[in-house]
Amino acid sequence: MAHDGDDDGVQITCFTDVSDDVTLHFQIIRLHKQIYAWIGCNSAKFGHLYAAAPTQPNNVVGVTSILGGASDNTGSSIARRLVLKTGLNIILACNIPKNSPMLEAGAEKKLVQKLISLGYTRPKSEGLSS
Amino acid sequence: MGSSVSPSFPVPHKKLSLDIKGNKTDVVICSYDDHFLIIATQIGTMGTILHARKEEGVTIQPTFNVSVIFGKRDEPMLVACARQLIEQISSSGSSRPLVLSLGLKDHSAETLKGIVSAVIENRLW
Repeated sequence: MAHDGDDDGVQITCFTDVSDDVTLHFQIIRLHKQIYAWIGCNSAKFGHLYAAAPTQPNNVVGVTSILGGASDNTGSSIARRLVLKTGLNIILACNIPKNSPMLEAGAEKKLVQKLISLGYTRPKSEGLSS
Repeated sequence: MGSSVSPSFPVPHKKLSLDIKGNKTDVVICSYDDHFLIIATQIGTMGTILHARKEEGVTIQPTFNVSVIFGKRDEPMLVACARQLIEQISSSGSSRPLVLSLGLKDHSAETLKGIVSAVIENRLW
């Protein structure tokens, strides 16, 4: 895993996970008030882009597709659950092919684990109901 | 489950920080297979996100399509910044589109020029 950043500025973390013939690349860019993440499935294509954030009241998440997600929402549910689990304001780019729910679930789990281990998640992350 | 011993991560990136008119500006440049991503922020978020691409066409002069895909749609300086950068990318021989995120405290010409120069100096194309 490569981690690039000083405590005060932008922190960039990149890592790759290979399992069951699938290679998942992850990139996490931590800004002060927002996290950008990219998930690459077997390639370094950018994929679809989504923005997701907690909205008032505090147990609701708003997700919007910003690039490419019209008929194929792969990634939008990952973005939504990232916010639910971490309480963070998220921009997610993801090129996981559509109709791959197992792959999506696996990628989401690895990303959430990494966000937690990096200490990026909000203290009341378990407080948002799904 | 395992983690790979990959030769190198497939998305190269560069990160830098500079001062523009007294505002600390963080810039990140990433090169994906089919896009460039540039983030320039002074406010701790990605701010307004723009998409810029070269149009396929039959004329010798390339044309560019630049649009705001998230955020402020009434700041022409942001669009101008994206246009400058996609022109630079295109004239260097790449036809990859650009996703540009600008989270800025001011939208003056000086600030945007500072960002464009910093990105060009650290370009990945």
